[in-house]
Amino acid sequence: MNFEQFQNQSRLYVIGALEPEELEEFEKARKKFGKKAEDFITKCYALHEAFALSLRPAKSSAAIKERLMAMVKAKKEA
Amino acid sequence: MKGIQAGDSDALSQLYDRYNGILKALILRVIHNETEADDLLQEIFMEIWNQSKNFSAQKGKPLGWMVTLARRRAIDGLRKKQAYARAEERLQNETEQQPDAWVHNATEDEIMLSDTRRLIRKVIMSLPPPQQQAIDLAFFKGMSQREIAAKTNTPLGTVKTRLELGLKKIYDGLKELRDEL
Repeated sequence: MNFEQFQNQSRLYVIGALEPEELEEFEKARKKFGKKAEDFITKCYALHEAFALSLRPAKSSAAIKERLMAMVKAKKEA
Repeated sequence: MKGIQAGDSDALSQLYDRYNGILKALILRVIHNETEADDLLQEIFMEIWNQSKNFSAQKGKPLGWMVTLARRRAIDGLRKKQAYARAEERLQNETEQQPDAWVHNATEDEIMLSDTRRLIRKVIMSLPPPQQQAIDLAFFKGMSQREIAAKTNTPLGTVKTRLELGLKKIYDGLKELRDEL
């Protein structure tokens, strides 16, 4: 696998779309390319942010935040 | 995130105010159930609080980390409940009504979009619909290439090509936006 092919596979990898047999090959290439590979995979995670940001934000019930903060407070006090 | 890592609950409160809408939208897109999405949102922010020490700024920005975590939890939740088929039915019914579905006929004028969102959507909408659909099913439904192929009656190789081409176009299109994300 050359680096361009690795880049294509990396974009599939970060969204969990590699098939098991591809994953094995991908991990081998990942080791082969080392830091260059890790840096590229990190960049690919920007796709996650982009997909989330492409959606219109949804409103949540105010009670959710109240419950969350109460849980956090209880945990801190425990 | 530094505040949260230091145990500052006010920092979590601020993070929640800033990002709960984005994460809720993501969860809803996966599970299509308002009540379950709220419950999951709360669990995810609790996990963010509990796991904050695992976040490393060197590996990306806080939103990316949170989205990755939220997506995984939402897809896990969907599968655990074995509600996949029912959610798919709801998805089928809702796709035409849902203003933010990628593949839809609604006009952009219906909703006010932030600049960043508008730019991202412009990149996504520039893809051919089959590529949008393949990415949508992979990212928001957690489907494998084989599952997408079966669902769309498309050869596996074609699905792979659609995903590769679509993701590359989005990735390249986002290069200019990357600093903002």
